Amino acid sequence: MSLNLPQVLSQMQDMGRTAASRVEQLAIKLPEAVETFRRVSLMKPKHIQARIAHAGNRWPGAVPTQEPLDLLVSPPTLPDQLKVIGADGSQIYPDRHAPAFYFMINIGSIIIAHGSGKPPQTNSRPWIYYQDEDLYDQNDGAITNAVVDGWRDVAEMGELARLTDCCPGEPTLALLDNGLLLWLALQVQDSKHRTMDRILRAYFDHLDRIHQAGAALAGFVDRPRSTNVLALLHLANLPLEVINQETLRANPYRGLTDRMLFAQLLSPGQRSSRFTHASPVNRDFQASGHEVQFFYLNSGEEGQIVRVEIPCWVAEQPELLNWVHAGILEQCRSTGGFPYALIRAHELALISYAERRNLDQMLQRTWLNHGLLPRLSQKSRTKKWIGQRRRHRL
Amino acid sequence: MEEVHAMIGRVTRCSIRGFVGAVRLPEPDLPSFGAFCKAEAQQGHSQVIGLIYDISIEDDEFARQMATAESLSPEQFSDHQYNRQVPVEFSALAIGYQRDDQFHYNLPPQPPLTLAPIRALTPAERMAFTQRLDFIPLILSAPNLPVDDLLTAALRQAAQDRSGGERRRFLLQAGRECARLLDRDLSRLHVVVRGLAE
Repeated sequence: MSLNLPQVLSQMQDMGRTAASRVEQLAIKLPEAVETFRRVSLMKPKHIQARIAHAGNRWPGAVPTQEPLDLLVSPPTLPDQLKVIGADGSQIYPDRHAPAFYFMINIGSIIIAHGSGKPPQTNSRPWIYYQDEDLYDQNDGAITNAVVDGWRDVAEMGELARLTDCCPGEPTLALLDNGLLLWLALQVQDSKHRTMDRILRAYFDHLDRIHQAGAALAGFVDRPRSTNVLALLHLANLPLEVINQETLRANPYRGLTDRMLFAQLLSPGQRSSRFTHASPVNRDFQASGHEVQFFYLNSGEEGQIVRVEIPCWVAEQPELLNWVHAGILEQCRSTGGFPYALIRAHELALISYAERRNLDQMLQRTWLNHGLLPRLSQKSRTKKWIGQRRRHRL
Repeated sequence: MEEVHAMIGRVTRCSIRGFVGAVRLPEPDLPSFGAFCKAEAQQGHSQVIGLIYDISIEDDEFARQMATAESLSPEQFSDHQYNRQVPVEFSALAIGYQRDDQFHYNLPPQPPLTLAPIRALTPAERMAFTQRLDFIPLILSAPNLPVDDLLTAALRQAAQDRSGGERRRFLLQAGRECARLLDRDLSRLHVVVRGLAE
């Protein structure tokens, strides 16, 4: 036994005390944030825009759209027939200690024809990546887990595009279990920019196809920790002449999240006003015609606040926006606030431990059939020595 | 016209005493309690004859959550019934085997192998196998199984393959065989005979 539980216990108690104290502080800050939200909602849009312009390119806030800041939209009517498509992915990261250097992406998807009563169509599609161009970047550096995540995001969007192509002219909602912005793009170093360009290009191609198919697209973010709207409240509350990086960092709402704020404002089924992401990545999306907007939604009866991201071409078409709003609520009706289609897509994508073990065995057999000796690294072999004690039984 | 063997599943685990098969729900011919089936063994040289004595469907937390949901849509309902990979598992008791077109009324020399297809016996095969009632002791001696109900269900099914006077003669013969084997346990005999008479 290597984990010293008595030592953890004392730290755990400190952790509990800190959490309790944090809750007390947030309980004081939250009404202030709600009050500020109401006050900022009364400001003239041009005054808010002037402050945003002063905040600079790297300000991580939410930019209001044409909708009033304090808009609360009640659930629209669900169309009688709506195809809901969900896609999710899982991956096996490359492991230099394994017998082979490769990675795998498995995409699960489901098409639910709402209003048909028919069983949904389900898919599970795996891909193995093992060619040099898949595994090494332009500087011969081995692929990182973050880049694998990027390709997984592309594959998820590709699956949604493939399936929306199959539903031309039908009301269709394509759902992704994540935000739409590729956050990987914010994190890559310069040495990886060519890989990032390939990922972004492929991603935008898929977005184009979904747009052309006439489908609505939404990224569903459960329990979001984002603070973009709170950053907007702080900014809007500052006098124009004192806005600088230092005053922007002195955010009085630190610790709060947008989710906590909108839990005070949204009734079950209601969505908030739309906002635009003020991030450099979104400028790339904007240049490709897919600028990302978002709103918060109360998707359940117990204050389940989620963040829904949509491309601008969904935001600008009231019918598509209604499919997103009503479709997500319908999907969440029997699951406590998380879309059924995404639960099933996740289930269809998941690579279980047993499946991983079978895959490893299959790989070893393939290696042997080709006269190759599958060898684990010494480190990996020593890990197998430990943790598998056997008890003597009579 | 040659009778078609309906495949009802594939073997997932087995022993000399019986085998367990799995099938997904959309299969058209679901197994039922007391049904005769057979599974290939000895590289196709023999068929183990089995009687289905248990059928079970596993659940998981998702299924339990959905079962208690107040408003399940028809699509979600059918997704759970037809799509989700929760196999129906059925267990069969070995009651004999067939080799070289001959039926043998004792335990098979080898069990079937994993994923061997399990097929329902055709009415003609059931008739042929139940011409002799030597499989009844293997049912009655099976431990921890609902053997009385299983025996009744199997004999009634075999009787239904026969018509008129032949059915009556079969049931009388089966009743006598049961009386001989259960002569020291009259209450169980009563249950079996009453089941046959229903």
